[in-house]
Amino acid sequence: MASDEIIGSDSPLTAEQRDVLAIVLDLIVPASVDGRRPSAADVDVLGYISASEPGTLTELRGELDQLDADARERHGEGFVALNADVRQALVDDIRAAEPGFMRSLAIQTVTCYYQDDRVLEAIGVEARPPFPKGYEVPSGDLTLLDPVRKRGRVWRET
Amino acid sequence: MADDIVDVLIVGAGASGAAVAWSLAETRMRIVCLEQGGWMNPAEYPSTGRDWETRAGKEMHPSPNVRKRPTDYPINDGESPIAIVNFNGVGGSTILYSAHFPRFHPSDFRVRTLDGVADDWPIDYFTLEPFFAENDSNIGVSGLAGDPAIPTHQPPLPHIPMGRMGETMGRGFNELGWHWWPSDSAIITRPHNGRDKCLNLGPCNTGCAQGAKSSADISYWPMAERAGVELRTHCRVREITVDDRDRATGVTYFDADGIEHHQRAEVVIVACNGVGTPRLLLNSTSARFPDGLANRSGLVGRNLMLHPWGLVVGHFDEPLKSNFGPQGCCILSQEFYETDTDRGFVRGYNMQITRGGPPVGTARGGIAQGAIPWGEGHHDAFDRLFGRSIHLGICCEDLPEEHNRVTLDPELTDSNGIPAPKISYTLSENSRRMLDHGSGKGAEAMAAAGAVKVQQIPSPLRMAGWHLLGTARMGTDPERSVVNEWGRSHDVRNLFLVDGSVFVTSGGVNPTTTIQAVALYIADSMKQRLANLFD
Ligand SMILES: Cc1cc2nc3c(=O)[nH]c(=O)nc-3n(C[C@H](O)[C@H](O)[C@H](O)COP(=O)(O)OP(=O)(O)OC[C@H]3O[C@@H](n4cnc5c(N)ncnc54)[C@H](O)[C@@H]3O)c2cc1C
Ligand code: SF4
Repeated sequence: MASDEIIGSDSPLTAEQRDVLAIVLDLIVPASVDGRRPSAADVDVLGYISASEPGTLTELRGELDQLDADARERHGEGFVALNADVRQALVDDIRAAEPGFMRSLAIQTVTCYYQDDRVLEAIGVEARPPFPKGYEVPSGDLTLLDPVRKRGRVWRET
Repeated sequence: MADDIVDVLIVGAGASGAAVAWSLAETRMRIVCLEQGGWMNPAEYPSTGRDWETRAGKEMHPSPNVRKRPTDYPINDGESPIAIVNFNGVGGSTILYSAHFPRFHPSDFRVRTLDGVADDWPIDYFTLEPFFAENDSNIGVSGLAGDPAIPTHQPPLPHIPMGRMGETMGRGFNELGWHWWPSDSAIITRPHNGRDKCLNLGPCNTGCAQGAKSSADISYWPMAERAGVELRTHCRVREITVDDRDRATGVTYFDADGIEHHQRAEVVIVACNGVGTPRLLLNSTSARFPDGLANRSGLVGRNLMLHPWGLVVGHFDEPLKSNFGPQGCCILSQEFYETDTDRGFVRGYNMQITRGGPPVGTARGGIAQGAIPWGEGHHDAFDRLFGRSIHLGICCEDLPEEHNRVTLDPELTDSNGIPAPKISYTLSENSRRMLDHGSGKGAEAMAAAGAVKVQQIPSPLRMAGWHLLGTARMGTDPERSVVNEWGRSHDVRNLFLVDGSVFVTSGGVNPTTTIQAVALYIADSMKQRLANLFD
């Protein structure tokens, strides 16, 4: 990527890279079938990475470019132009050959995704910090300990 | 005042330094503690914000090499399968600890006599018993009296809620006829000493915003400061100085601006933990101690024990809300704690049941361990784990081996140019067998509890060097130990060590209740002997 392509833009990626990224994010976490959980492409993963993990952007750019280049080499057109099945197969192939490929992207994606209000509400978690409200946890049924008490002392005499 | 002499100088304001400071305060001696970190502000802990799971993995990361706060020092742990984790600040590593607080067993102090391995301690469980109790009530410990795996004691506060997950595992253990019990926890379940009770937030490992976790900054330090102890923060000690009569004269330290000072003292107490303490002693070389202070035995830094850790994760069909509640505290099983040589190893391990992860933690762990795929299966796989998984940690007793050690790295230094510690550690065959046994038994327990899927995570876990023990052991023989049976250096009669470095063996449980009981016992021994402390 020529760095001048992104000068003047707020984005750390070129338009092409962003298009590839949107598709990859949807491959990592697609929307749920019931529509309640958004696709990862619809949460601001790039904003999260830029703010929290800027040191990984170089790797990300390289991986997005590699995906596009592999698509051209194998199929004669860029990743975005491929149909969904071919894209999926290409990504699966690369990940099988290079298990670390886009692993940190996947980790960053879920880190951002599971802090998004819509996602939290869909998985039944209130969208708020744990403090100060906290949570209720039942104390538990202590009669379950009866067999342990009955068995008696188990520590070793010295 | 510069180079004014103090009666007692403590280095390190963590679990052990704080306990000793409080205990000695009643002597009305002039006591100063130097701590390289600062005070934490609980209002700024991650759990107060929406991005808490992001922050947890950064400024509150357990590894100083990742966290890289200005108050941290780097640790070269590249040659160890287990990374060293800690925290540097007022409260020390208790800022991040899970507060799981089981005591050592009586047998832990007698391993040579009982099992023919390692060495016996020069003290025993019953010597420490009053100090365990004193510590429990000082800091606030919750639990349920009557655990048949440990001599009877009465925790001052009611036990931590087990939740459905605790009950589920309890039923599983019952099915197998195994021991289990609600864990003693250094978390207050009722208001205690002006602090409010636990709210089950979960992320105790990132600092407790509620102030319910009994970290040393909010439990001991207010008591010690009220009693007159002076705590100086952002003071990093480079070395302990000695005179030509083998007496410690004080310490040289850097303040927050990097300016070097010398503080004279009648007595020096080191409480920098099982890695920080040998590092400081090895950095304190002089003509009379060319191999490091108090190191005529050659044992400073040796016999490092880390509690190799295993992990089994069970996935359950029914929702257990396992993501709520203090992350590291619920129930434990000590069925395999005491030696049974038919198992193929000596000594044993504790099974610590810990809560399932929060949303990001669950998703990240699931992806890293291959339990959550990319694509269509993502949501189902996440739902099967989130709130429905239970973790079983296996805390293995690590036996002392001289080649497992802390030395000084020839190149790596902290921001003041002080040589950093280097860890050399290999897993013993005994520990390997114990980990494998624990993993198998953990899987059995999960199956008995009704898990539909069980993952035995490869062990030892790397980011799990929480317990730093043995690197300046106690004993009666100056050739075979660094400090005597009440914590005083054999070589330097006004130097005391009070942290986990003095442990002779490691037990098979999280050590901090025992570290603090030992620290209080040493402080008490000093108070008993004030008139002839250096004889
Ligand atoms: C993530 C995590 C989870 C844990 N969970 C548990 C648990 O559930 N149960 C349990 O029993 N234990 C747990 N532990 C371990 C527990 O925190 C330690 O056992 C305990 O804090 C050790 O006490 P200490 O006084 O020896 O050292 P620390 O508490 O580590 O304190 C040492 C202090 O010395 C200071 N220091 C070091 N060198 C210098 C120097 N040169 N100059 C000035 N100051 C210095 C440090 O900054 C630090 O504040 C956990 C630890 C971590 C990191
Ligand atoms: S669960 Fe309890 S102890 Fe842990 S952080 Fe929350 S309030 Fe503190």
